[in-house]
Amino acid sequence: MKKVLTSLEEAARLVQDEDLVTFGGATFHRAPMEFVRELVRQGKKELNLIDREPAMDFDLLIGAGCVAKVRTGMLAFEVFGMAPNFRKKSEKGEIVTKEGACQPIIAGFRAAAMGLPSLPVKGMLGSDLLTISEVVGSQTEIKDPFTGETLIAVRAIEPDIAVIHAQKADEYGNIRIEGPFYEDVIKAKAAKKVVVTVEELISNRDIRKMPEATTIPHFIVDAVVETPKGAYPCSCFNYYDADYDHIKAYLKAAAQDQFEQYLDNNVYRRASA
Amino acid sequence: MNAKIETPDLMIYAMALEIENFNTVLHGVSSPLPVLAMSVARKTHAPDMAYISGAEGVDPEIDRIYPSSFDARLNRNAVAYFGLHEAFDLAQRGELDVMFLGAAQVDCNGNTNLSLIGDVERPKVQLPGGAASAFLMPITPKVVIWVTRHSNRVFVEEVDFVTGQGYNHRSEECKVNEIVVISNLAVMNFKNPERAMQIQYYHPGHTIEEIKENTGFDLKVAPDASETPTPTQDVLDLIAEIDRDGIRLSEFH
Repeated sequence: MKKVLTSLEEAARLVQDEDLVTFGGATFHRAPMEFVRELVRQGKKELNLIDREPAMDFDLLIGAGCVAKVRTGMLAFEVFGMAPNFRKKSEKGEIVTKEGACQPIIAGFRAAAMGLPSLPVKGMLGSDLLTISEVVGSQTEIKDPFTGETLIAVRAIEPDIAVIHAQKADEYGNIRIEGPFYEDVIKAKAAKKVVVTVEELISNRDIRKMPEATTIPHFIVDAVVETPKGAYPCSCFNYYDADYDHIKAYLKAAAQDQFEQYLDNNVYRRASA
Repeated sequence: MNAKIETPDLMIYAMALEIENFNTVLHGVSSPLPVLAMSVARKTHAPDMAYISGAEGVDPEIDRIYPSSFDARLNRNAVAYFGLHEAFDLAQRGELDVMFLGAAQVDCNGNTNLSLIGDVERPKVQLPGGAASAFLMPITPKVVIWVTRHSNRVFVEEVDFVTGQGYNHRSEECKVNEIVVISNLAVMNFKNPERAMQIQYYHPGHTIEEIKENTGFDLKVAPDASETPTPTQDVLDLIAEIDRDGIRLSEFH
């Protein structure tokens, strides 16, 4: 085991412009928001983002001009409505949006995690989404060789980097996720590089007391960053709930053309504090 | 007399009635109405249903809902975690009985659009995306579509983009799977030889004429169409208690 503990700045340098990036969590829960803010501060460009159901993490990066392409099953702000920057930039043609569907996106991650070039899924037949993804070459109809059933083969999705916010880790990168996992373990196995920001560092001795609680072992983790409140304003189970008032303030800022001000107050200023 | 049952509560009850006892049911993202419907069903006619939350808890004890349907507090006292990808695997096995899905447009064949309006490369209107719609609609025995703003802009002859597959975009074997559409005006299904959308129930205070006028195609009427069943006071109290913050109203503004 080697120590992989590092700073947020160093970890964010692992992300290159144009990388295919995915984040842990789902909508407003355990998204690696502090890492996302650091990506904005470092001025990343032309990122290619993929996930099943992201929310503010993707929208913030899109609004800050860090993104070229987006592929999701759904990108919205739950009951608060549309993701404002996503909608605006997609309609202006400033980002390329290729919608996917949840299970095929997960199947792409699973294929990569299993070292397979593709994985079949059911459903999808008859949807125009299939036509879109056939154009970009990520899904195609196949016949199962044993039953003759028509299935959809999904090409493996191997992100350049997966960034996950978890509750606990040791300095070697043994990760404990508490509560819902989402597809975080699959994403970690699928990605070329894995960064995990955590609420709390614990000792390797504590990790060894309960190995069944380790959801991601050290040998697939490239960097660990101690980042308390690292999901804020999204939730981190057992640590804090989502700050829905902050999320509403974000939407208000975006709606009133004050998004730059939001970035100044919540992203850039925080770095100099 | 049920003079003053609010539309969201009527819809929640109608959605709950689509669940049968012992069904395995999943809700997804942005789903306050499905969460409340599943909670009502479990407390009334479907006590033995398997409740899978989009927040990943199995059979949680829902005491309150939140602006996010993935909020981990929705997993309170759950018996297990079951990831969304595991629930989707269950659907591939044919063992997910009921799923609730939203729609920005629905057409006469039951196709839904949650993707975009206009050009695929440069949409005039970018919608949020269909999430699991395209995957689940053809393989789930019953899909319940809920629509909070019944108008002829939402109920269109033909959707601009097929996100979720209606009967005319399904393979023969998937055509048996049932679609039910529940709006703020009516409960509609496709139980006729043409698989054309028809009114099964009209909500109290609304007429068939009014519903047809607000629909952008020739909406059929089931021969046995009747008024939508109304919830008891106990059900209304349960909804009011779980959703004391009025989150169910957010989609109706």
